[in-house]
Amino acid sequence: MTLDTRIDHADGRVPITVVTLDGELDASNFSALVATVQGLYTSGTRHLLLDLSELRFMASSGLVALHSIVRILGGEAPDDTEAGWNSLHALSHDVAGGSTQTSVQLSGAQPGVQRVLDRTGLSRLFVVHPDRAAAIAAF
Amino acid sequence: MAQPRGQVRVPADLERVAEVRSLVRQVVGDCAASDPCEDDLVQAVDEAATNAIVHGYRGLPGWLEVTAERVDDRIVVILKDTAPTFDPTAVPEPDLAVPPERRRPGGMGVHLMRQATDSITHAPRPGGGNILTMTRRLDKSAWQERLKEIDR
Repeated sequence: MTLDTRIDHADGRVPITVVTLDGELDASNFSALVATVQGLYTSGTRHLLLDLSELRFMASSGLVALHSIVRILGGEAPDDTEAGWNSLHALSHDVAGGSTQTSVQLSGAQPGVQRVLDRTGLSRLFVVHPDRAAAIAAF
Repeated sequence: MAQPRGQVRVPADLERVAEVRSLVRQVVGDCAASDPCEDDLVQAVDEAATNAIVHGYRGLPGWLEVTAERVDDRIVVILKDTAPTFDPTAVPEPDLAVPPERRRPGGMGVHLMRQATDSITHAPRPGGGNILTMTRRLDKSAWQERLKEIDR
């Protein structure tokens, strides 16, 4: 396992669950992250901050995890993990329809992770805040 | 001075791809390349290895052999496997100008590989399998700084 997740809570305008990703998010562990978030949703989480400041690496499978997490927080089933770009379609529809999701915020992406978000267009679909405080204020 | 070089062979298991990334980090680090150069090559080798395991071996047992070395002003990463032919260079490039909902499915990993490297070539491996070769230019200024340090 190359990814550790730490879970804590923050109070903004709404109760926020903070998941800090420490390590590398790849094809071997992205589904475990999705399962973790599914458990949090079942336990009542409705606003989630993913703190990426300790994430050294994100593979393309991490993008699928990010979108699955958005779906879960929206009360939907996570993506089919084989769907590739298809996994991003629903989120794009949400954005195009003027209903940009605000239930999942990202913070502290390192340059390499930010580059992955930029190169795949995901940075247009997520707000990546510079730090945790800025992200908490955005909920 | 020996050229930075490393090689690793791992089972075709997603849990072992981290070792492939570590090898590339080590070799790129030995070249004193820039952080973006290291990030790019780690990304490219991860996506390539993952594709070989998921789309090549498709759950069958096998191995991946990865070699990374500096050749002149470039780093060359070569992946060899014995999986059925899977040529990532034949995967169509997604058009990022097209809204994601209208893009053809698949190709996220291959798109990242192309973005991260200067060249990608695929060839059949003699005896069966695939040979994927990826290159990326070193950050020249960083390498020249490293040479200066060595000369001191």
